[in-house]
Amino acid sequence: MSSSTSKLLIPLHVQYIQSLGESKDDLLYHLTAHLRMNAIYWGLTALNIMQHKDALSRTEMIDFVVSCWDDEAGAFGAHPDHDAHLHATLSAIQILIMQDALDRVDVDRVVKFILSLQQPSGVFAGDQWGEVDTRFLYCAVNALSLLGRLHELDVEKTVGYLRQCRNFDGGFGAVAGAESHAAMVFVCTAALAILDRLDEIDQETLGWWLAERQLPNGGLNGRPEKLEDVCYSFWVLSSMSILKKIRWVDADKLIGFILSAQETEHGGIADRPGDQPDVFHTHFGVAGLSLLGYPGLADLDPVYCMPAKIIERMGLRRDWEALPRKTE
Amino acid sequence: MHGVKRVRYSREALEAKKQKEQAKLKEYLSLNDDVLAKRNAGDWSKDAFDLTTRVLHANAEFYTVWNYRRDILINSIFPNSSPSEVHDRIGDELSVTTSLLKQHPKVYGIWNHRRWCLANIPDGPSDTDLDGWRKTIWNKELYVVEKMLDADARNFHAWNYRRYVLANMPMKRPAQAELVYTTRKIEANFSNFSAWHQRSKVLTSLWEGGQLDPHKSKEEEFDLVKNAMYTDPGDQSVWIYHRWLVGAGNAYDILQREIASIQELLDEQPDSKWCMESLVFYKRLLLRHHARQLSEADRLSLTQECLRLLTGLQDIDPNRRQRYEDLAADVKKIN
Ligand SMILES: [Zn+2]
Repeated sequence: MSSSTSKLLIPLHVQYIQSLGESKDDLLYHLTAHLRMNAIYWGLTALNIMQHKDALSRTEMIDFVVSCWDDEAGAFGAHPDHDAHLHATLSAIQILIMQDALDRVDVDRVVKFILSLQQPSGVFAGDQWGEVDTRFLYCAVNALSLLGRLHELDVEKTVGYLRQCRNFDGGFGAVAGAESHAAMVFVCTAALAILDRLDEIDQETLGWWLAERQLPNGGLNGRPEKLEDVCYSFWVLSSMSILKKIRWVDADKLIGFILSAQETEHGGIADRPGDQPDVFHTHFGVAGLSLLGYPGLADLDPVYCMPAKIIERMGLRRDWEALPRKTE
Repeated sequence: MHGVKRVRYSREALEAKKQKEQAKLKEYLSLNDDVLAKRNAGDWSKDAFDLTTRVLHANAEFYTVWNYRRDILINSIFPNSSPSEVHDRIGDELSVTTSLLKQHPKVYGIWNHRRWCLANIPDGPSDTDLDGWRKTIWNKELYVVEKMLDADARNFHAWNYRRYVLANMPMKRPAQAELVYTTRKIEANFSNFSAWHQRSKVLTSLWEGGQLDPHKSKEEEFDLVKNAMYTDPGDQSVWIYHRWLVGAGNAYDILQREIASIQELLDEQPDSKWCMESLVFYKRLLLRHHARQLSEADRLSLTQECLRLLTGLQDIDPNRRQRYEDLAADVKKIN
């Protein structure tokens, strides 16, 4: 590893995130329009954690979010003229909360949209077309909680579905019967944390399964016998923080792995060393580093995947534990 | 973005690449603008439908365009078609998604559209055979998903889709056939945890449904796993599955037998982390559930053996050192 990647290159990553909105002559920028709202949430959260929350224009961002409102559905799409979707809606709410502009949302309509997507089994669909999985269940629980409307959710029904997704290895899958996968473990664990139902988890077994995600090079994979990837740093670590078992992986080696996936010329973090960076992995890499106590970063709330300070201020903090913040 | 290698371009090369991309970009932007304009205007014409095909080939993740395409099918094409034409149309839709899946096997929207197609097969071909079309099409799905799993045996989209098809097809396949399928996948590659996982689900349903004798079938599973353990003791898939087979560890004899068998493997492979880790786990199950069958001396030696193994694990598996320390503290506390 070269000396230039032994540190988190904060100014470079800030620049990288700023540059993303200016790459409009880049085909990839347009091919990912269906993820724009999520990308802004990833970028803004990473900036918050790197303590540069004002690096993007607040007014422009809020205007963009509002321009994605789908008035027919009563929720947000990922981009103007794109259909409303639960995932984009959660990102929109998270952005507006970080920008202290939640008054721009018709909360009643959004709540109605979210609740209308719960299926008889308890799982949530992502939109009216009915694709279901635990990611959408988490989006719903998280958004309702952020909006202060969790009491309108049928908690028993929701937890009942999560129970069906639990596997013998302690993990959770995307739907009932599916194989455990670190990203789905995160959404299910975080949803149960929000619902105060962590007793549904076999914590010893899940802690073991999560600890076994770390590979000899320090990186984490998402399932047994798969390759490491920076984004799993967050999916695995957030779950471990919630279970208070984050010490069960080697933090220094994982920090080294995340840092080695940095692009050192133009900024950004990739899925693994040598690959093309993107805002998704930049965000989840920085989020992972924050949970590992990397110096100079702000605390990230692993349950909501937002700045911990904001979640605390809203009175929503759950009982999780990250590694103590190191000093330089 | 996953698995896209970073390429360093010289300034000239970058400029040339940009130039080349400009034409593509212009074409994509005009497709994008056209399709959204038609959608906003509520255009459900054949032209609009064909446009969605082109856009989705350029960008299979564009969920709004998938939605628009389904809107056109439901509101315009299906109502103006005979059942047999709808049936053919569903066939076309499935073909479109098959070719897209070959290029993008992990795009949720494509799998999702396929599910929607299956749910929209009309009754037919005749009044006396209302389920005929459904049976034929659903049966073919298993073939398609097997091709996908041949290309990537760990693709969880494909496995989830497979389970969805098996659970919802109008003419159910015997669960035994799925057991045979997982055997085939596991024998091709012991590391395929997706197949082991599927096997645990299939066996559970066969045992619960009384289609297999749990005792006999478990013994066969222990044989299969033992074979896999000896082939590659470092492969965690097998050890995780073994843990499922042992379960809560209520069967004293099985627990003792498995401990002995793992001990034997450890004697051959003294550095095997998974042997050591599993021995700790199973010995702790013995202490927890079968203390009354053990003598005081047995209990003491099991405890000491666990602590010795945990010390060894801290050395050979330092990533998880803290976990082993916590387990050791727990062993000391309980015993
Ligand atoms: Zn990733």
